[in-house]
Amino acid sequence: MKKYSFLSSGVIAFSLLLSGCAGESTSDTSNEGGEDSTQISFIHWRGEDKAVLDDIIAQFEEENPNISVEMTIYPSEQYQATGQRLLQDGSTGDVFTSFPGAQFEAIASAGIFEDLSGEDFVSNFDEQLISVGEKDGAQLALPYQLVFNMPVYNKGMFEELGLEVPKSWTEFQEMADTLLENDITPIAFPGADIGPNQFMNSMMMNNAPDEDVFEKLQNGEESLTNEWWVKTLEDFQLLEQKGYIQADALGTSQDSAMAMVANEEAAMLATGSYHMSALLDLNPDLQLDLMAPITVEESEAVYEGINTATFMLAVNSKSDKKEQAKEFVAFLSQPEIASQYANETGQHLTVNDVEYESEVLKNTAYWIDERKTRFQPRFLITNAQIEAAVLSSIENVLGGADPMTAAEEAQQLVEENRE
Amino acid sequence: MKISKSIYFFFLPGVLLYAIFFIYPTISALFYSFTDWDGLSSSFQFVGIDNYERAFTGDTIFRKTIGNNLKFMLVVVVFQTLVALAFALIVLKNTKTTIFLRALYFFPTILSSVSVAFIWSFIYDPSLGILNQTLELVGLDFLRQNWLGNANIAIYSLAITQIWFHAGQMLIIFVAGLQAIPEDLYEVAKIEGATKWQTFRKVTWPLLAPSATIVVAYTTIQSFKAFDLVFAMTGGGPNNSTQIVATYIFDIAFRSYQFGYASSISVIFMVIIAIITFLQFKALRSDRISY
Repeated sequence: MKKYSFLSSGVIAFSLLLSGCAGESTSDTSNEGGEDSTQISFIHWRGEDKAVLDDIIAQFEEENPNISVEMTIYPSEQYQATGQRLLQDGSTGDVFTSFPGAQFEAIASAGIFEDLSGEDFVSNFDEQLISVGEKDGAQLALPYQLVFNMPVYNKGMFEELGLEVPKSWTEFQEMADTLLENDITPIAFPGADIGPNQFMNSMMMNNAPDEDVFEKLQNGEESLTNEWWVKTLEDFQLLEQKGYIQADALGTSQDSAMAMVANEEAAMLATGSYHMSALLDLNPDLQLDLMAPITVEESEAVYEGINTATFMLAVNSKSDKKEQAKEFVAFLSQPEIASQYANETGQHLTVNDVEYESEVLKNTAYWIDERKTRFQPRFLITNAQIEAAVLSSIENVLGGADPMTAAEEAQQLVEENRE
Repeated sequence: MKISKSIYFFFLPGVLLYAIFFIYPTISALFYSFTDWDGLSSSFQFVGIDNYERAFTGDTIFRKTIGNNLKFMLVVVVFQTLVALAFALIVLKNTKTTIFLRALYFFPTILSSVSVAFIWSFIYDPSLGILNQTLELVGLDFLRQNWLGNANIAIYSLAITQIWFHAGQMLIIFVAGLQAIPEDLYEVAKIEGATKWQTFRKVTWPLLAPSATIVVAYTTIQSFKAFDLVFAMTGGGPNNSTQIVATYIFDIAFRSYQFGYASSISVIFMVIIAIITFLQFKALRSDRISY
């Protein structure tokens, strides 16, 4: 009897433990594969692309009845915290995505990227735009989206006021003064959430035309107290002091800044092309284009804008379904599929021969081939703590600090975090 | 009465859960704190006490986060405790109105922290937010602030949100504590001619000390671990002015891929919380009294 009660107690205790664990659920969005089909896992962070990707996956499964795709979307921060750690044993994320920069470097160092060099589908991409997914001569990831991280401006408003796109820092200030005279804030800066993450790129692109400047900063050959960065901070200070960006910019959220542009209270939004469709949703009458501030004189300007090839598609080297995973990446790289993705998400892509249908994508597609853009400098900082120090120095200046003091403080952080 | 050995099986779920979700992660953190693990690779090197040395001597931001955390904690502990106690005294008696008020004060506690962050980010918005707009409306323009964008006040703005979020929870503890105080002690105090303050100081507070100990200790731990609110409202900015230890650990582990170093900060953080909580227990225990 005693033995029996001992056993039954154990069963009850175990049941209690199990009941405590009940109620967990997964958030997969897959279609159930057939009996003979191989299911691959696709993980990423772009919740806003779910509908179009669900449709693309359905088409892929129809074309490849022996492969099914389970798509799991993590919020961006959770993807960093949890998603990519799941890649380690290869059971999740046969196909996954990565940001360029620190994340790409960390995943590459961990050996999780399968080398895609030599795969046929790589030639579907613009060779120059996917170089950010290369490391030591191997194509480890394929950037899918092409973003222009520079201010979106109200082209219609410029035409009404007789303003032209400035080609120098002097012209930029004249343009901003004209806007102020017309009670329009030149730049809406969403300092509370996006911060200077996007705007710093175009503000520094011509102050430091050397594309290796942040690599040099990380290895000690450059310093934030040198002219290129102090000048960038001084330019930010000028924007703030002259009222070219709105008051209380560091407390302004993305939504408020977008509302300012949509309501035509501000002429530019200091983020990037990825906000154009959202702005048009808020005000369909807007005519939008892209414009980077040229912070030097016209003759010294090397770059006209910033590009970022991101949402980098990759195959997990630890996966035992690599071939099926590559099939899916190949499918995504087909021009007609990429066109569907581009038009439904309002993004330019790195895939060749994509046909852009929306007005805003068509009107800005000239930035891909006809303008001299530079890869986003911020993503060339591979040490996230150094990146944070660089960004903090801008916030420090916008908060009222002297540019040189802010540069010195940031440089100290750079030195503490240099590897 | 002889207790059957089988009763020990009923401890098993709790012990297992505690072991899995507390003991194992704690030991893991301690282990990884002596390594240079990046959180992704399958291999790592032992680096001895290098991570601890870096935290104490070579990391300006970590020192700043400790300072921010202490500021945040002090404001939250003092004001949340006072607000909760004041409201508890107001809603102490069981009437329809006070029961409704208790529910109303408790309401923020049941919201998710992300919702709270969203609501308060909107309230604090410098141009569209209702706080600045209300100040303007009542002629107090000079009090308008860039609540989350000004590095000098952002941490206090977050503290106010934290107090709003959790004071209701503490109020319930205080109400329970106050209702447990025997009524006859108040009658004796009244007969003896004690003033309201004397009654509070000599009767209420000493007998409320156990509840206050729980409130203060819990608030302290809660304010040290206020990750979600800070992360969602400011992300530690501007210029690290609201970066607290918990958000910094996240940055180091998941953005910088320095799991080993992040683990060492977690261990230091755990020790700091343990010391502060211990000191609070000691201090508040001395106020306890029984009649």
